[in-house]
Amino acid sequence: MWRRTGLDLRLLLMSALLVVMGIAFHALSGGVFLSPENLYNIAQQTAVVGIVSTVMVLVIVARHIDLSVGSVMGFVGVLIAYLMYTSGWPWELASLAGLAVALLVSMYQGWLTAVLGVPSFVVTLGGLMSFRGAAFLVADGKTQPVNDEFFQRLGGGYDGGIGVVATWALTALVIAGLFMRLAHERHSRRRHEMALEPLWLDVAVTALPSVVLIAFAWTMNSYQISGKGEPQGIPIPVLIWAVVACVLSFLVHRTRFGRYVYAMGGNPDAAALVGIPVRRVTLLLFALLGLLVTVAAVVSIARLNAGTNSLGTGMELYVIAAAVIGGTALSGGSGSILGSALGALIMQSLDSGMLLLDVAIGRRMVIIGQVLIVAVVFDVLYRRRFGEK
Amino acid sequence: MRVFLTAIAVVLAITAFSPATAQTVVGVSWSNFQEERWKTDEAAIKAQLEKLGAKYISADAGGSPEKQLADVDGLMAKGAKALIVLAMDKDAILPAVNKAIRQKIPVVAYDRLIEVPGIFYITFDNVEVGRMQAREVFKLVPKGNYVFIKGSPTDPNANFLRAGAQEIVDGAVKKGDIKIVGDEYTDGWKPDVAQKNMEQILTKNANKVDAVVAANDGTAGGVVAALTAKGLRGIPVSGQDADHAALNRIALGTQTVSVWKDSRELGKEAASAAVALASGKPVDKAAKWSGGEKKVELQSRLLAPVPITRSNLDVVIKAGWISKAEVCKGVSGDKAPAACK
Repeated sequence: MWRRTGLDLRLLLMSALLVVMGIAFHALSGGVFLSPENLYNIAQQTAVVGIVSTVMVLVIVARHIDLSVGSVMGFVGVLIAYLMYTSGWPWELASLAGLAVALLVSMYQGWLTAVLGVPSFVVTLGGLMSFRGAAFLVADGKTQPVNDEFFQRLGGGYDGGIGVVATWALTALVIAGLFMRLAHERHSRRRHEMALEPLWLDVAVTALPSVVLIAFAWTMNSYQISGKGEPQGIPIPVLIWAVVACVLSFLVHRTRFGRYVYAMGGNPDAAALVGIPVRRVTLLLFALLGLLVTVAAVVSIARLNAGTNSLGTGMELYVIAAAVIGGTALSGGSGSILGSALGALIMQSLDSGMLLLDVAIGRRMVIIGQVLIVAVVFDVLYRRRFGEK
Repeated sequence: MRVFLTAIAVVLAITAFSPATAQTVVGVSWSNFQEERWKTDEAAIKAQLEKLGAKYISADAGGSPEKQLADVDGLMAKGAKALIVLAMDKDAILPAVNKAIRQKIPVVAYDRLIEVPGIFYITFDNVEVGRMQAREVFKLVPKGNYVFIKGSPTDPNANFLRAGAQEIVDGAVKKGDIKIVGDEYTDGWKPDVAQKNMEQILTKNANKVDAVVAANDGTAGGVVAALTAKGLRGIPVSGQDADHAALNRIALGTQTVSVWKDSRELGKEAASAAVALASGKPVDKAAKWSGGEKKVELQSRLLAPVPITRSNLDVVIKAGWISKAEVCKGVSGDKAPAACK
């Protein structure tokens, strides 16, 4: 039955966990946790880690790792803020310059990994330190404020929602797209005389994400900052995250690049033998990482309204943890983008939920660390039970 | 080993050839020179030593407590008659410091406490910083809901600051005028962590927050971003360090106070103390202090920091800490503080 629906049991279980956690925190926090305001907070707080972990999934799938993402994000973030604040550049130009530097950095690390064959763990461990230092050098350790009001919207904030109408329009569009894809698929299956699932089953499977989307849109549209005329709608950073996740999912499922990455992770020797350009794909993967780290840097300095040299410190751990909780195997070869999103949400919900309950910082850290272990244990048991590699 | 021997040879050579004048040599052992602020301190120490006719020698441990032990030995071998030590690790440094004290070489613990009898401890009074933060906020909001965004849980200074702030609000809390609705540590003093914490505290209290005592300017930046995102304006927020960004926020009116610890003052006083101690004289304005973990009684000098608010922004500009253009960036017309006019 599960195979026929095409649904991923693991992702369903994780979603269920998220729901259970939400209800538990809601009860414990006296009805605050599931309020639109708090859900809006969490969505926003998760976006930066979420954006980077989408691509971290692919990096891990390809049997690599990047420990330098937090430092590079800090470096690029401070650089963009510095160019805007101290050098007076417009935000578009500053961001492009940041992107260029991020690509340079990722190509350098990618080259060492792909061409010279230095393990990415070592390369990026060096990067973790170097680029944190570089983040300090950019502005001599001084905080660089970000005052451009348009730019600030990219990080959410007061004017950082897309509004009610746009939220509903977007939701309708996406749902229409989902059903159109379903119709198209059924049509082509029929044309090629392949077996069709019962209509009700297909519709139910497509209706499920649609319902989640509607609920999300409704929640974001219910949050109104007091004193403001209109509710917030979907926060821009979350929208960026969603777009990134969709694009990456597309890359994974519909392009040669995506298939190569999974093939390389599944069996690197076989991949090379069948003629997959391993070096080029690895370089491309690192370039993609550089791009998304820049996106994350832009969102986070816009959100904090400043670029600080501590930006992104320790983020690599959260990013990797989100990917792992989301079912990405550290041994490579398997992992899903949607899973990383759920993983990031689970971690942030735990953290924010415990903050609402006034759980002291030491205990919070202990609990979050153990949750990571539980996730990996679950992963091991799951693979054993269902015979996945 | 060879490197070590060479080092000894070099040290001996330097000692042998240094002119045997009466010039006092002061050795400074830095923990980690990479941090930007110590450059300011070094310049101040150098300038003051020069003024007093003493000689400056230094070593940088590059963040390694082990290297710092060797550094201190090296400085003594080079003929230092007094030491200024910024300890990387307050406990690991003890063997070197004890050795110096046994040789009757006075040691000044610079900014970070070293708790050994015979040490001279010089720092800014962190409890007073906390008092100043709370005092400026309390002046504006004597009643209401207070949030405390504390520093890193692994930094003892975070607790000194919080204790100082508590002294100011304690009476009002007991009377019920002030209610503490949030009291969170900030992991690693990170602004983005402070922002998340503040968002959750606001949500928990349905945005009913009247004042925020933040431990430094970085965390204050996170707090202000969280408040702005919820459209909350005009809520007093404190800070510390006179970060350029924070001074700009004070001019713009989004932050109330930043407590300024002028490290040039600290460097100057430390240099004077070292020279005085080397010649066996008492240090000006020294006092007994035993506020450390082990309650050891030490000679100390606790400098008073300066709270910078809208009304005295000119102090930092006049001191050459920051330019007027930087303080007043984006500050417009009639709402501008006096310093920007």
